Amino acid sequence: MANERISGKASQPGMRLASGEDLEQIVRPAEGLISRRIFADPEVYERELEQIFGRAWFFIGHESEIPERGDIVARQCGVDPVILVRDQAGVVRAFLNSCRHRGMRLCRADRDHATALRCPYHGWTYSTSGELLAASSEHHYGPGELDKAQLGLIPVARLGSYRGLVFGSWDPAAPSLEEWLGDMRWYLDIIFGRTGEIEFVGVPQIWDVECSWKFATDNFTDNFHVYWTHQSLVELGMLPSDPDFASHGHMVTLDNGHILHFVQGPPMEAFQGLGLPKSLWPRFAEHLSPAQARIAQAHGYSAGTMWPNFHWLQLVTAGDTKSEPVGILNLRLEVPLSPTRTRMYSWFAIDKAAPAGYRKTSYETYVRCFGPSGIFDQDDMENWEECTAAARGPAAKRYALHHKMGLARPTDATWAGPGIAYADSYGEMTQRAWYAEWLRRMRQPAHAPTAVQRPRVTAAS
Amino acid sequence: MSAAPHSAGVPADACAAGTPLYGEILGFLYREAALLDNNEYGAWIELCAEDIHYVMPVRTTQVRARGPGFEQVSFFDENIHSLRTRVARLETGSAWAETPPSRTRHFLTNVLVQAGERPDEFAVAANFLVTRTRAEQAYQMFAGRREDLLRRVAPSEYRIARRRILVDQTVITSTNLSVLF
Repeated sequence: MANERISGKASQPGMRLASGEDLEQIVRPAEGLISRRIFADPEVYERELEQIFGRAWFFIGHESEIPERGDIVARQCGVDPVILVRDQAGVVRAFLNSCRHRGMRLCRADRDHATALRCPYHGWTYSTSGELLAASSEHHYGPGELDKAQLGLIPVARLGSYRGLVFGSWDPAAPSLEEWLGDMRWYLDIIFGRTGEIEFVGVPQIWDVECSWKFATDNFTDNFHVYWTHQSLVELGMLPSDPDFASHGHMVTLDNGHILHFVQGPPMEAFQGLGLPKSLWPRFAEHLSPAQARIAQAHGYSAGTMWPNFHWLQLVTAGDTKSEPVGILNLRLEVPLSPTRTRMYSWFAIDKAAPAGYRKTSYETYVRCFGPSGIFDQDDMENWEECTAAARGPAAKRYALHHKMGLARPTDATWAGPGIAYADSYGEMTQRAWYAEWLRRMRQPAHAPTAVQRPRVTAAS
Repeated sequence: MSAAPHSAGVPADACAAGTPLYGEILGFLYREAALLDNNEYGAWIELCAEDIHYVMPVRTTQVRARGPGFEQVSFFDENIHSLRTRVARLETGSAWAETPPSRTRHFLTNVLVQAGERPDEFAVAANFLVTRTRAEQAYQMFAGRREDLLRRVAPSEYRIARRRILVDQTVITSTNLSVLF
């Protein structure tokens, strides 16, 4: 069944693709059948832009990246460019990075510090909280031609923050951030609250890969590729030689497409307590519930996806064959540039309470193992590009990928956290849950979001 | 590249273009580049000093007043052990990003040599262009400036004690950084 061919006639006019296929028929998550068509098809991509990137919640940045009033980073919300700024009152805000007048990009640096934002084109000037302070040649406007009160920067329609992670949505009708994250908050508490606060260190590494964004998202919830894709590290003795080594854990699926894993490492102290130094372990009990603290203590690895494209990777590894394993917290975001090109973001983050020596070793190990130069990541990108390249042709698009591992596996009611849990973290339940949410989003009736609204801002810390 | 206040006996004009010393260092750089382009990583790693620091900072776009935008976070931050691990990995045959291998060209120009703080060390800066292609792929290119500290260990023989790779791109438009600079 590896080459299972899938096709289906359109049942709803809106779901029919130019190929004559019905999206619902060619993407069947419950059966583990995902058409290759969705990975390189411009028609599917255009629909994703509206249905997903114009409406879902997206990670923009972390509050620790803009600690001071007037700090700015240029990012995107979905695929639209935004300015993430801490305004003069200390409130975190996000605006479309585009002047209201002619649409010129306002913030042209990757990060900046400013008391006001002036457009280079005609000098329109905005406060850090988005109000239009001055337009150009104002005395040449007649009465009523320039209503400055209505010409503030375009805010991200919904903005919220959880554990310092700032998310935005362009859909004014989106559920609240708390509602959308739902039970994922329980797990975010473990990853981002285990010892107090987490900080993002410096700027992200950014690089463009010739792949569908979905091959990357699929990979970040895939544990059983590690032994094979990263075989070179097995050969060097940096990963265990047992092909099942990353299977000793649980997979969890949650509402709204959020998915995660917690996996035990080898029975060594370095792989306990999420790989954090032993001196930080007592903090688990101070900052987490007993059930959360037990999960943090018992596991070495964790990966989670806040649907659709933002991930944490909590890992324990050495950066070279001479060093001891150390914990790493890596955050990842994929922003599509086209159906077959994706901009990758990778951040290093660390517990504010971490001792200096651990902080340095964890950082160095991160750089050596992850991001574009990482001895782990290099080979992942290779896979994503080649999977994408092989999905471009009309023949390939008639066939499904295979996502059936664990279709019949029972759930594990002994798991202490919320969500639907499965023992054995080798399986494709999390991918199937991700694609089910993708399909649900793609099937939603299109709606025109209402125009500019003032932001419902988060109060900054 | 910082000026060398303590020339330690090597006068500045002895390092200038056209001098025997300059030619010797240029010859070393070319031999080193050939090893990388020929996939002779085992021989290349022997040119790295035990105390090497090999770093490629992430670059960001900044307004002019904030400087060139080289950040504390890096794409590479390597010591001899991590470089040896990278080389050993390439030789496993299962480092898929380089199996089959990339085809690269390391072009070096605008080489400037200054005396270092020790009489056997030289600060060597060069512009680089590295082209890379794999399988049927279009060329991926990396351009920037390399700032090396080279240590003379024998006539015409040097070891790389520092390498700072100052890449021009803020967004690396390449699958990955599986090649060395």
